[in-house]
Amino acid sequence: MKRARVFAGPIAATAVAFVVAGVWLALLGADPLRALGALVGGAFGDSLALETTAVRAGPLLLVGLGVALSFRCGIWNIGGEGQVAVGALAATAVATRVAAGAPGLVALPLALLAGTVAGALWAGIAGVLKVGRGVSEVLSTILLNFIAALLVAWAVHGPLQEASGAYPQSDALPAAARLALLPDLHLAHSGLVLAVLLPLAIWALLFRTAAGLRLRAVGASPEAARYAAVSPELETVRVLLLSGALAGLAGAIEVCGVTGRLFENLAAGTGFTAIAVALLARLHPLGVLPSALVFAALAAGSGAMQRSAAVPSVAVQVIEALVIFFSVGFALPRRESA
Amino acid sequence: MPLVALRDLHKRFGATQALRGASLELEPGSIHALLGENGAGKTTLVRALYGQVAPDSGEIAVDGKPVAIASPRQALALGIALVHQHSMLVPALSVAENVVLGERGSAFLPRARLHAEAAAVLGRHGVAVEPGALAESLAVGEMQRVEIARALARGARVLVLDEPTAVLAPSEVSALLQLLVELRARGMSIVLISHKLEEITAVCDRVTVLRAGETVASRPLAGLDAAQLGRLMVGDALPPPGRPPETEPGPVALRLAGLRAEGLAGIELELRAGELVALAGIDGNGQRPLEEVLAGVRPLDAGRVELLRPPLALLSADRQRTGLVLDLSVAENLVLPEAAHGGMPPVFHGGALRSAELARAADEAIARFAIRAAPDDPVRTLSGGNQQKLCVARALRARPGVLVAVNPTRGLDVGATAAVRDELRAQARAGTAVLVVSTELDEVLELGQRIAVLFRGVLLELPAGERSREAIGRRMLGAAAA
Repeated sequence: MKRARVFAGPIAATAVAFVVAGVWLALLGADPLRALGALVGGAFGDSLALETTAVRAGPLLLVGLGVALSFRCGIWNIGGEGQVAVGALAATAVATRVAAGAPGLVALPLALLAGTVAGALWAGIAGVLKVGRGVSEVLSTILLNFIAALLVAWAVHGPLQEASGAYPQSDALPAAARLALLPDLHLAHSGLVLAVLLPLAIWALLFRTAAGLRLRAVGASPEAARYAAVSPELETVRVLLLSGALAGLAGAIEVCGVTGRLFENLAAGTGFTAIAVALLARLHPLGVLPSALVFAALAAGSGAMQRSAAVPSVAVQVIEALVIFFSVGFALPRRESA
Repeated sequence: MPLVALRDLHKRFGATQALRGASLELEPGSIHALLGENGAGKTTLVRALYGQVAPDSGEIAVDGKPVAIASPRQALALGIALVHQHSMLVPALSVAENVVLGERGSAFLPRARLHAEAAAVLGRHGVAVEPGALAESLAVGEMQRVEIARALARGARVLVLDEPTAVLAPSEVSALLQLLVELRARGMSIVLISHKLEEITAVCDRVTVLRAGETVASRPLAGLDAAQLGRLMVGDALPPPGRPPETEPGPVALRLAGLRAEGLAGIELELRAGELVALAGIDGNGQRPLEEVLAGVRPLDAGRVELLRPPLALLSADRQRTGLVLDLSVAENLVLPEAAHGGMPPVFHGGALRSAELARAADEAIARFAIRAAPDDPVRTLSGGNQQKLCVARALRARPGVLVAVNPTRGLDVGATAAVRDELRAQARAGTAVLVVSTELDEVLELGQRIAVLFRGVLLELPAGERSREAIGRRMLGAAAA
C-alpha cells in the first residue's frame, strides 16, 4: 500500500497536467482531444513510435537515477548535462582513437567504461570542491556544464574531428564499438537492457546496503550521521562519483547506441530533463523508469502532434512544464507529526 | 458548563494509536493539569484543540457548542492559544515586532508607536521585557512570557502550555507559575502540561491523567499528593529514588588528559571500568563541547582523549538533531553506526543489508527496551521517551567499554526516566565505564559514585565525603574553585 502511494502522486500529476494542457490547447483553438491523441499516438502508436520513446527514455533514466541518488543524499547535482557530454566525449575518444582497431569484445566495453569513468570524475570535481573548499555543488556542477560543452566543441573542431574535416563532428564509431540493435528492431539498441536493470540495482543499493543507508542518513541529517560515525564528506564525494558515472554511461551509450558519432549539443537538455524525471519519480529508483517514459513519450510524440493537429511542438514543452509543476505539487507529502 | 470540552477523541498516526478515548473538560478561571507519560498522547490532545491535528473521531465543544477546529487560526478566533515548549518567536525580530506580528493593522507602523503598544501589552500582563530587544537575545523563560503576552493580546481566553517548565531554570519556573496564578485570578483558563508533580500540586485546580491515549482520571487536585499522581500516571507504584550502584572499579577505561578546545579549559578525568561518574553543572559550562569532543566532531586545541577500552558509545543530549535521523525508520536508526565503514556483521554482510537480521535486531531492541513503535515507523513519529529508549538500545548494541550519556533523561516521564537510569546502573555493574553529564541534581545524586562539577570548562571534583546538594550547588556557581 505504501509502495502504491509512491506512484499515485506522479500518475495524478501527469493526468492533471494533461487536463490543464487540454484546456489550454482548446483556448489556442486546437482540438485538444485530437492533439493529445496525436501526442500519445506519436509516442506509443506503432512499433517505430515505441522504439523512439524507448531510445529517448534510456539516457533520461540513467541520468535521472543519478540525480535521484544525489538528491537523496542532500547533494544537488545539477550537472547531468555536462557529465553526459564528457561521457560521450570520452567514449568517442576511446572508440575512434585509442581502441580504433580493437575487436568488439574489447572496444565496446572500453568505450562504455571510459564514458562512465569520465562522468564520475567530472562530477567528482564538484565533490572535491565542496568537501575541500566548501564550494556549493549547485554552482560548481552548473558551471562544469558549460566547460563540458566547450570541451566537446573544441574536440570536434580539433583533435577528434572527422578525417575529411568537412563537419565539426567526429568520425563514425567503428562497428566494433557500436551497441548492437536488439533483434528485429530498427532503433532500440542493446544498451536499453541496462536501463531496465539499473533501477533495480540502484533500488537495492539504496535500501539493501550499508552504503545506501549511509547515503540516506546523510541526506536526512548530516549532523546525526556524523555522530553515528558516518562521514558526510566521504558520502558526498561518493554519491557525486556514482551520480556522474551514471550520467557518463548515458553519454557513452548515446554515442555507441544511437548517434554513432560525437557532435556538439548531443543529447542536449537530457541533464536538465533528468532532474524533472527524478522529481516526478519522487527520487525513488523504481519510479524513475515510468517517469523517464513519460518525458520520453512527450518528446517522441511532439512531432506527431505538430503534424496532425497543427499545434506547435513548443506546446509539448508547456505540457512537460505542467507535469513537473504538478508533480512537485503532488509529490511533496504533507507532514503530520505526532 | 465547561468552557472547553474534548470528548472521547481518537487519533491514529500510522501504526500508532495516539489517542483512544481522550477527554478533558476545562472550567473557566482554572488551571488544569494534563499529566501522562511520554507518548501518552498529551501533545496530540492539545494539538487537536489547537487545530494542528485532525482527530479521527470525538467531539470538541467550546462554550457548550460543538466546533470543528481545522487550523490554529480558527483556534485563536475561538480564544484558544497554544504556547509551545520551544519558542515560536521570530528570532531576528524585536520583541515588539513579534508581539504585533500577524495582527491586522495599518501597513506602516512607526517604531515609537510599535514599541509603546508592545510595552503596554507586556506591562498589562506583567512581563518585564524590553520591547526593542531582539527575540533571540531573550532567555527561554522570557520568550515564553512574551508568547503568553502575545496570546493574551489576541484575546485568548484559554491558554495551553506544552511542558513549559522543562526548558526553564528553577528561578524562571517560579516566575512562570506566579504569572499563571495571576492570570487565573483574572479569569483565564489554563491547561498546563508538565511532568513535574510538585509544580502541578503547587498551582493546579484539577488534573486529567492520560495513559496510552486514554483519559484514566479527571478530578480535583485537592487531596492528591505527588505519589498518588505518579501512580495514576504509570498505573502502579512509583519506583523509589535510585542510588548509585555499588561496584568495584576496574582498570582505567577512559582518560581525558588536559582537554582544551573551544569551551573547554583543561578537563582532567580518569574513568574506570565498572565505575559510574556523574558530572553536574549549569548548561553552558562545557557540556556541549565535551560531548562534541567525545563524539569526535570538535577539534581539540590541546590534550588527549585516551580510550583504553573501546568502543565508546554516546547518548547525545540532542536526540532530534544529533542522536537520531528523524526521517529514517526505527530499525535503520538502530543500525546506522554499524553501516559506517562498509558495514558490520551480523546486520551487514559484505556491505549488503540482511533484512532478516535487521528485523531481528529491531524486534529485539523494541522488546528489550519497551519501545512503543514498529520497526518501520519513522523515528519522527515516536515520542521523546521512545526516541531516547531507541538511542539507548543503539548505544548498547556496540557493547561499549565506555558509555557517555549527556542529559539522558531530559524531557522523559517518570517511568522512562527510571528505566534509563536503571540501565545506566546495570551497565556499570556489567563492567562498562559510565560517564553521565547532567544538569539535574537529582540525577547526578542518584547515579554518580563519584561526582564532579563542570564549571567554565573545567572539572571540580567533589571530595568523597561531601555528597550534598549544597556542596554541588556551591561548585556549580564557581565557589570552592580554589
